[in-house]
Formats: sequence, structure tokens, C-alpha cells
Amino acid sequence: MQPNIFKRLYPVILVTLIVLVSAVLLSLTDDITRGKIAEQEVAQVRGMLKEMFPNMTSLTLENDIYTVLENDTTIGYGFVAVGKGYSGEISILVGLENKTTVKGIVIISQDETPGLGSRVAEEPFTSQFAGVDIDDVRLDGEIDAITGSTISSEAIVEAVRNAALEKAESLGE
Amino acid sequence: MSRFRKELLKGLVVSNPIFILFLGLCPALAVSTSVDNALGMTAGVLFVLLGSNIIIATIRKIVPNMVRIPVFIVVISTFVTVVSLVFQAYVPALYAALGIYLPLITVNCIILARAEAFASKNTIFNSIGDAIGMGLGFGLALIIISFFREILGTGSISIFGTHLLTLPVLGEHPMAMLALPPGAFLVIGLLLALFRRMGVVRSG
Repeated sequence: MQPNIFKRLYPVILVTLIVLVSAVLLSLTDDITRGKIAEQEVAQVRGMLKEMFPNMTSLTLENDIYTVLENDTTIGYGFVAVGKGYSGEISILVGLENKTTVKGIVIISQDETPGLGSRVAEEPFTSQFAGVDIDDVRLDGEIDAITGSTISSEAIVEAVRNAALEKAESLGE
Repeated sequence: MSRFRKELLKGLVVSNPIFILFLGLCPALAVSTSVDNALGMTAGVLFVLLGSNIIIATIRKIVPNMVRIPVFIVVISTFVTVVSLVFQAYVPALYAALGIYLPLITVNCIILARAEAFASKNTIFNSIGDAIGMGLGFGLALIIISFFREILGTGSISIFGTHLLTLPVLGEHPMAMLALPPGAFLVIGLLLALFRRMGVVRSG
């Protein structure tokens, strides 16, 4: 009786053991790489914000909002907005020069149709956002959509405005 | 030793995973847009293949037949997750370029096929040879495809940021379609036709 039970349970025990070993290995890898991955993300955002705010000297991150400082004076804010594009998520770094005005946007990643929707990541579209009041970030406001890419353009405009309004509120008046 | 060499060499040409076995075509089509991506993908696949072949050959005698597939998948996905975290931490640009195809190495038919058809029936030593051969064969195919797609699709070629060459006319008017998904099918199809004509690949 005893060996029989063991024989039947053996596959279960084996798979459990293998999964356990795998889990331990993965948590070790996660432990080693986690800090580095977070660093890479901050470094990427830092580079983009530096281009938007050339006077930036340092950067602090709190509640997903980056505060851009020039010698301890706040000169702007940055945060990541995510929009639902034509073929996947579009993540956008938004810079605010104060709580009501956009300083600029940079498309961090997008998966739109090459040659059509992907053009929203290019200068002619993104540069339109500089200096625009948050409330006017609309396709029927200050921003012109890219011809043939209305869905991608709309996704970005909506994501930027909604996120900016929300962040501005959390920053307080 | 001769057996090891045989297992290693077969993956390169005679049983090339892409051009002969037609395994792993999906990632091959998707990430062969540039030589950089091809090299990165090769590194990832080679590592996973090597790791999974070694582990699976090691435990082949204690794994009952009925649970072998779940065991293979756990082993393979563990290695894939490791690769994916390491790429994300140390080569973020490559991680972004490979996108979904990196985690999808888990279900890459080359790796599961080698585990099932080779590593689960052979010694650790020969399985290492098989993994290196198949991994390099996959890489070789990917590099050939991506070379044509990059040089014709963008008009120039660069490896890890070092610019190597710009074609005279194509540099200004690249055949952008070759860098897009349809280009992958065209390039693979034309290469297969060429290899068949040259007798490298024999028709089944």
C-alpha cells in the first residue's frame, strides 16, 4: 500500500519541487536586477526631462510625479501618462511648466502602425503641446491630429489632458 | 567527442531550425528588422536553450512521462524570465526592441522541440552540443535575414551603434517595406528559394 501511494503522488511532488526551485531562482534574479531596472527607468525619464527643461539641475520623485528643480527652485513637473492607441498602449512623458501649462511631451513607447500612427511620436505632432493650457489639450482645441491617425492622436491628447488635470489636482493649487 | 561535434554542427546547416526545420519562424519574422535585434535575440535564445537542455537532460530519468511537458515549461519559463529581467536591467534598449518576443521565447517551438526530441532522451554532454548548435543555427538564420532587411530596408547598416556602411542610392530612398512585417516574409521566401537553388537546402 505504502509504495503505491508514493508512486501515485510522485509526479505531484516532483513538479512541486521543481516549481519551488524555480521560484527561489526567480526571486534571487529579481532581487539582483530590481534596483538596476528602477534605475534605468529613472535614467531614461531624467534624460528626457533634461531635454525639456535644459536648466534642470536635479529631480525628485514622489507619488509618480517628478519635480524638476533648478538650484532648489521648482521649475516644472513631469509624469508618465498612458493612452490606449490604435494597436496597444502609448506611454507619454508629460512635462508641465506650472500647474496649468504643458511644457512639452515625449512619446516613451508606442506600437502604432509604422508610417501612419507612429508619426504621433515625431516632432511636428509632439511640438504642438509646448505652452498649451491643460484644458486646451484637445483635438478641437489647440492640437491638430495627424492626418490618417486620428485614433492615435486622440489617444495621446486624451491621455495627456486627463493625466495632467489629475496630477495638477494632486499637486494642489 | 565526435558525437558532440555532430550534434553541434547539425543545427547550423543540415537541421537549421529556421531554414530546414521551419521552427521558431514567428520570432524570426518579427525581430529580424535589424542585426542588433537579431544578435540580442540569439543571445537570449542560446542562453535559454542551453539552460533548459542541460537541466532537462539532467533530470530526464526522474521525470515521469505524464508530467514531462509541465516540467519542461517550468524549466524553460524560468530561464526566459531570468533573461528578460537581465536584459531589462542591463540592456534596456534591446529589451524595448525585442518587446513581446522576449517572453515569448517560452513558447518558442525550437526550445520545446529540443527539450522533447533531444534533451529528454540524451546525455547532458550531447544536449549541450545540441543546444549550442541549434542556438547558433537560429542566430545564423536570423542574422542573414536581418542583414538583408536592415541594409535594404533602411539603406545602411550599423552594429551596436557603430555605423558600418550606407548604400549610395538606397541610403536616401530605402525600401522601407522590407523593414516592415511583409518584408520579413519576402526576405525569408527569397532566401529559401536561393538556398534551394544552390542546393544548400534539399526539398523534402
